[in-house]
Amino acid sequence: MDGIKVVNVSKVYTVEKEPVKVLNGINLNISANKITVILGRSGCGKTTLLRLVAGLENFEQGEILGTDVMRKAYVFQEDRLMPWLSVKKNITFGLKKEEIDEKRIQEIIEMVGLGAFENAYPSQLSGGMKQRASIARAFAYKPDFIMMDEPFSALDFFTREQMQKELLKIHNKTKCSILFVTHSIDEALILGDKIVILEKGLVKSEYEIERTTENRDLLDDQFLQLKKQIIDDLKVI
Amino acid sequence: MNKSKVIKTSISVAIVILIWTIVSEMGIVSSYILPTPAKVLDSFIKMVKSGEIFEDIYISYIRVLKGFFISTLVAFALAMIRIILPKCSDYYEGILQFLKNVPPLSLISLLILWFGIGETTKIGIIVLTAFFPIYLNTVKGFVSCDKKLLEVGEVYGYSKVSSFFKIRLPYAISDILVGMRIGLGYSWRAIISAEMIAASAGLGHMILFAQQMSRTDKVIVGILVIGVVGYVTDRLFAWIIDKALRGSEKNGWD
Repeated sequence: MDGIKVVNVSKVYTVEKEPVKVLNGINLNISANKITVILGRSGCGKTTLLRLVAGLENFEQGEILGTDVMRKAYVFQEDRLMPWLSVKKNITFGLKKEEIDEKRIQEIIEMVGLGAFENAYPSQLSGGMKQRASIARAFAYKPDFIMMDEPFSALDFFTREQMQKELLKIHNKTKCSILFVTHSIDEALILGDKIVILEKGLVKSEYEIERTTENRDLLDDQFLQLKKQIIDDLKVI
Repeated sequence: MNKSKVIKTSISVAIVILIWTIVSEMGIVSSYILPTPAKVLDSFIKMVKSGEIFEDIYISYIRVLKGFFISTLVAFALAMIRIILPKCSDYYEGILQFLKNVPPLSLISLLILWFGIGETTKIGIIVLTAFFPIYLNTVKGFVSCDKKLLEVGEVYGYSKVSSFFKIRLPYAISDILVGMRIGLGYSWRAIISAEMIAASAGLGHMILFAQQMSRTDKVIVGILVIGVVGYVTDRLFAWIIDKALRGSEKNGWD
């Protein structure tokens, strides 16, 4: 697989009859089998970029190459579960009947810690649990490309940490490509093979990080340096 | 219903009956205007024994069910056209908006002229009455479908057809059922009025006939029976809705 190329893409929204340019001729390579993290302030166009790559929205200018051959999954900022389906049915929502592998689904449900709730309905779950169900839905789909839009922002610190580890594990196992949007620098440093800093609809800077260990120590000199640099990048408006 | 609710309901009903008894037994109003509860109960028992009351209930009920069934089918079909082929709905939308504002009972004289005082007229009234709540709620259910959920379908490669059955329809079902429930309640009201104008059987006719015979007790029996049958039907429907909508938000229609 070649990964995905975003070439010179612009997107304009019309707000109260005024055109607002969200993406401004952006260029980006999303490498296959890697985790690409997009980092930026709110309103810098992160979600828009993700939606364009997912094909959920049209854009005025440019090209996005390489998306049509992939099996894509998307974890939205909100859980977006079907309120009339049980947790388990929600998790298998993307799959056709014959594609459902009971054992695997059960593993995924256990992994996100919803074992006791598989027959519950979304209205009976807490916000974090719903978000976990929605993450499970994406994994159950067996995608080779997952787009994640601040998927862990609704989770508490410990669950978040655990989900990050699980995400790395799954990524290790399946080698799927991941495009991950976040506004947390730490999260970007923990997950990213490549960190892309987005500002005012343009790529401001990119950092590649070699993956040497499974669990990165953010207090390591290398990461502290990088964090400082990223903060500097984000500071200038 | 829980225990305290049953007790509270019984208390209010008991108070109404008590006041009714006092007012009628003390002769504050004449027994012609307001017969005593005992007299009403007595005529009710007689009507039950002779079976005439069941016959009237049955006849009215069958009319309601027939009309309601036709109404649901037509409303659903037209709502589907409006959702799937919005441009085609322009042909009939204006007429519907017009009819919506015409009370079906005002059409009864025309309907009698055209169809006589047979079943067609009464079922026609019910169809017209039940149609709008069902149609409007069905349309609302489909139109208001959460775009965010449709996007989930889009991401997971759902075709338009499967997205209709897997997302739009389940999303709309609560609105459709609420519309049907309102429609059913409306039909039950409408049939009584229709039967009072043109019928030779049914609860409405029974009440009107009793009034002409100066049998106020029978009139009250008729009113009570209508209320109870309507209530039971509505509860039954609410129960079905509840079963069908497991997991969904409560819609406040208990």
